[in-house]
Amino acid sequence: MHSKMAGLLAGAVMTLFGTSHAYSQELTIFWAEWDPANYLQELVNDYEAETGVKVTVETTPWADFQTKAFTEFNAKGSAYDLIVGDSQWLGAASEGGHYVDLTQFVKDNHVLDTMAPATVKFYSEYPGNSGKYWSIPAEGDAVGWSYRKDWFEDPTEMANFKAKYGYDLAVPKDWKALRDIAEFFYRPDQKRAGVAIYTDNSYDAMAMGFENALFSFGGELGDFGTYKVDGIVNSEKAIAALDAYRELYKFTPPGWAKSFFVEDNQAITENLAAMSMNYFAFFPALLNEASNPNAKNTGFFANPPGPGGDQFAALGGQGISIVSYSQNKDEAFKFLQWFIKDETQKKWAALGGYTCNKSVLESADFQNATPYNKAFYDTMFKVKDFWAVPEYAELLSQMNTRLYPLIVGGEGSSKDTLDALAADWKATFAKYGRGG
Amino acid sequence: MNPEARVAQQTLAPTAPRAHGMSDLAIRNLFIIPTIVFLIVFNIFPLIYSLGYSFTDFRASSNDPAHFVGLDNYRTLLSDPNIWSNFTITAKYVIISVTGQVIVGFGVAMLLNRNIPFKGLLTTLLLLPMMLSAAVVGLFWKLLYDPSFGIINYAFGLGTFEWLADPKMALYAIAIADIWMWSPFVMLLSLAGLSAVPKHLYEAAAIDRASGLYVFFRITLPLVAPILMIAVIFRTMEAFKTFDLAYILASQPTTEVISIRLYKMAFQEWQTGLSCAFAYIVLVMVLAITNIYVKYLNKVKER
Amino acid sequence: MAAVRTKGEMLRHRLSIISLLVILALFLAPIFWITATAFKPRNLATTVPPTVFFQPEFSPFVKLMTKRSQLRSAPTAEVYNAAPWWEQTVFDGGEKVVRSGKGEVQLSGFPSRFLNSLIIAITSTVLAVGMGTITAYGFSRFKVAGEDDWLFFILSTRMLPPVVVAIPMFLMYRVVGLNDTHLGLIILYTAFNLSFSVWLMKGFIDEIPKEYEDAALVDGYTRMQAFFRIVLPEAATGIAATAVFCFITAWNEYAFALIMTNKRAQTAPPFIPSQVGSGLPDWTVIAAGTFLFLVPVAIFTFLLRNHLLRGMSFGAIRK
Repeated sequence: MHSKMAGLLAGAVMTLFGTSHAYSQELTIFWAEWDPANYLQELVNDYEAETGVKVTVETTPWADFQTKAFTEFNAKGSAYDLIVGDSQWLGAASEGGHYVDLTQFVKDNHVLDTMAPATVKFYSEYPGNSGKYWSIPAEGDAVGWSYRKDWFEDPTEMANFKAKYGYDLAVPKDWKALRDIAEFFYRPDQKRAGVAIYTDNSYDAMAMGFENALFSFGGELGDFGTYKVDGIVNSEKAIAALDAYRELYKFTPPGWAKSFFVEDNQAITENLAAMSMNYFAFFPALLNEASNPNAKNTGFFANPPGPGGDQFAALGGQGISIVSYSQNKDEAFKFLQWFIKDETQKKWAALGGYTCNKSVLESADFQNATPYNKAFYDTMFKVKDFWAVPEYAELLSQMNTRLYPLIVGGEGSSKDTLDALAADWKATFAKYGRGG
Repeated sequence: MNPEARVAQQTLAPTAPRAHGMSDLAIRNLFIIPTIVFLIVFNIFPLIYSLGYSFTDFRASSNDPAHFVGLDNYRTLLSDPNIWSNFTITAKYVIISVTGQVIVGFGVAMLLNRNIPFKGLLTTLLLLPMMLSAAVVGLFWKLLYDPSFGIINYAFGLGTFEWLADPKMALYAIAIADIWMWSPFVMLLSLAGLSAVPKHLYEAAAIDRASGLYVFFRITLPLVAPILMIAVIFRTMEAFKTFDLAYILASQPTTEVISIRLYKMAFQEWQTGLSCAFAYIVLVMVLAITNIYVKYLNKVKER
Repeated sequence: MAAVRTKGEMLRHRLSIISLLVILALFLAPIFWITATAFKPRNLATTVPPTVFFQPEFSPFVKLMTKRSQLRSAPTAEVYNAAPWWEQTVFDGGEKVVRSGKGEVQLSGFPSRFLNSLIIAITSTVLAVGMGTITAYGFSRFKVAGEDDWLFFILSTRMLPPVVVAIPMFLMYRVVGLNDTHLGLIILYTAFNLSFSVWLMKGFIDEIPKEYEDAALVDGYTRMQAFFRIVLPEAATGIAATAVFCFITAWNEYAFALIMTNKRAQTAPPFIPSQVGSGLPDWTVIAAGTFLFLVPVAIFTFLLRNHLLRGMSFGAIRK
């Protein structure tokens, strides 16, 4: 009687919670929840129509994406066959053995010829210049700017601006102009501010924001080959860049102490700021009149050059990789072969994905498709990225801890801050035995 | 604090057998042992795992083997001034938010503890805030607090008061959201305690013309205290672990509570060994604090 | 209870009702605002002052339930007119419904996650309250060697920050095959809630005079009968309160739900904030998800309200 009951119970439990079969005809791609993931789902629905293989894009909130992905990795989970992972993960994911080595695939399928070189370098290769590839560029992304065309083109504003600064009010031609325009439109009494920048230090937002100043001012985070940081991340140029970024904070809307992509887009839709920094991937929402009442009056520009004429932007975006623990690797390789085809990439771009395919990027179709595609094209050849070493997040934490009190709290000087950061980083690299 | 050793030591004091039905001893064992065994089995692995890795440089994000580093992790943590600031912030947060919850929750319970129409509906409505998930509460309160288009500043005419951007104000702002969310918890438990206070005690006090304060401190509070203490214990433990609200609302250095630092260490930086050591330090602290509470609770009950 | 009230008492009574209403208004304002937002058209979601009068819409709920994507260009009149009403509301919001390779409308994760949440929260609440009640009774009525230490051990199971428990728990679950199952989360939430349930129920059962059961035992009840027929009904208030709290905890748990589940057993809490991921979050959809997710707990609590408020009838004979 007892064992019979137990058997019944076990049976009931099995039917209720039974494990589903791993269909060989199914692939799961893991990504964060955002618009491009929806575009990707649309795209892969075509693949299902063509091949009968059902592809599902599984998503999780951005804030938990990294956590969820690496927890799966370290338990060697096979829930996801492919993952569209951040560029900074390359070190941790390849050294940890979580990504399948795609070097041969990249060679066999001439990925180096079809994708824009910068994207392969940042999204696929680790360590730098090693010729080893771990993913295929999937969603190109970088930081650009949106601005209020109606404010910029208002004749009174233009006249006043010219009178005050001695040159015409237009899309900023350099960081100096960016600063002037931000100052010009900063009018708390009118509930207007000059500029919206990234300040959230929960993860990488503020660091990416600062990078736009740093790289365009000719500064660097360090030497990615030798891991030397002292004298680089705290160079004169880097200090000037930090001064510039910190000054921009003065011209932000009230309460701008934890801002990332949502807040920066809201700065445009809620009439808070004249200019706003954001990743290109978040711009489609600004063109949509249903979500942005100012859609018709929103313009876009690439991150401007610094005083020395250098022009770079912080890299975003992700490459698609095969998870080592997937049980459908063959199917995943087939899918990648389909994904990198020119037709697929063209469709990907048409749906709103940021392709990294060279011929699509260069086509007039693509460049004229939206008001920001041209700026995106220009930017994707001038991007730089954060450290991609496995311990990048520690470097990031240290950067957040050092920079936030300066940028948001106005405490200390840029030089002291960066000197301290250089010391932190040096110690961290020493801890992991990098750079001798 | 070793549960297994206790199991071995345990001598079960027999009680008098009953004439029919299960013996008291059997019932006691049937009622208690499954829960204890379940909790031990469930918690023993994570506890041992964390303790073991707290002496290593293990990183869960890589497949590299862990190296034994002795007490290094503990030394690193205890000598890091940032960690101490995390503890101070957390302590401050726990005090503000639990005190707030007790005052508001108990106060509302006192108001509710009378004959009023629609009492059931009112109570259900007052419980609504705690039925939301902390992540959602965080999202909406961030919107409510917004200096430019938030409703709080509009409703109270505060202009562009910066609730979350001001390093001094931010922790209070988070605590306010937490008090809003969890006062209902204290309220409901207090209400249950209040309804148990025998009416004849109040009647006797009324005949004696005792003052309101006297009645409150001599009759109401002592009788409600045991259940109120349970509410305080659990709210303190939860407030100590607070994460979602603080993480979503602000990222000021002045709002970095322990859980946030721990989360970054464990899930962003993947310093698994170090974070395990950190967790054990936290555990010891919470154990100590809770122990004091429980001692006090037992004292209150004996009265 | 129709005691004659003096003037002073009447005034106090009125004052406390007024302050109660003020507090109620303050407490409910955010919830009222969320609920209203769930029925608003998107462009009214973040207006200041908040829009109070508007034509309620169901489009936020349609959007919540379906997979959507930004519209690149407006649909042609034919496409628009051929679409059912709910799809038209999505078009009106500048988005389109994503269809599968076979042309079927794709649902968002919300409906299945909602169902999972129901199964997991209800089952784990029943288990936690049931086990907690009997264990509390055991501790309350019988002599247990080292009682205080055991109770403290039970309490301590809730002290470790979840962040740290998550990884070992995840690895353990993977070994025994409990990850991404309903059963796995049910066990997990039962374990979470047990410490609370035992402690709270012990607080309530301690208050029930032993004399009740002793009288029943003399009358020929067995201990079990006395427990079920005398103690349980008396402890109804405590059981109701414990059930409400356990249900709320299990219903809203976020961190473990995120880490332990992939597709099959995912619950709703991580889904709602994920809607912030698009470049401009649609607050109406987030509000709709929040509202729908509030309904079951609110109903559950409302059904138990009389138990919650009944108080402990035995209070009168307390020493």
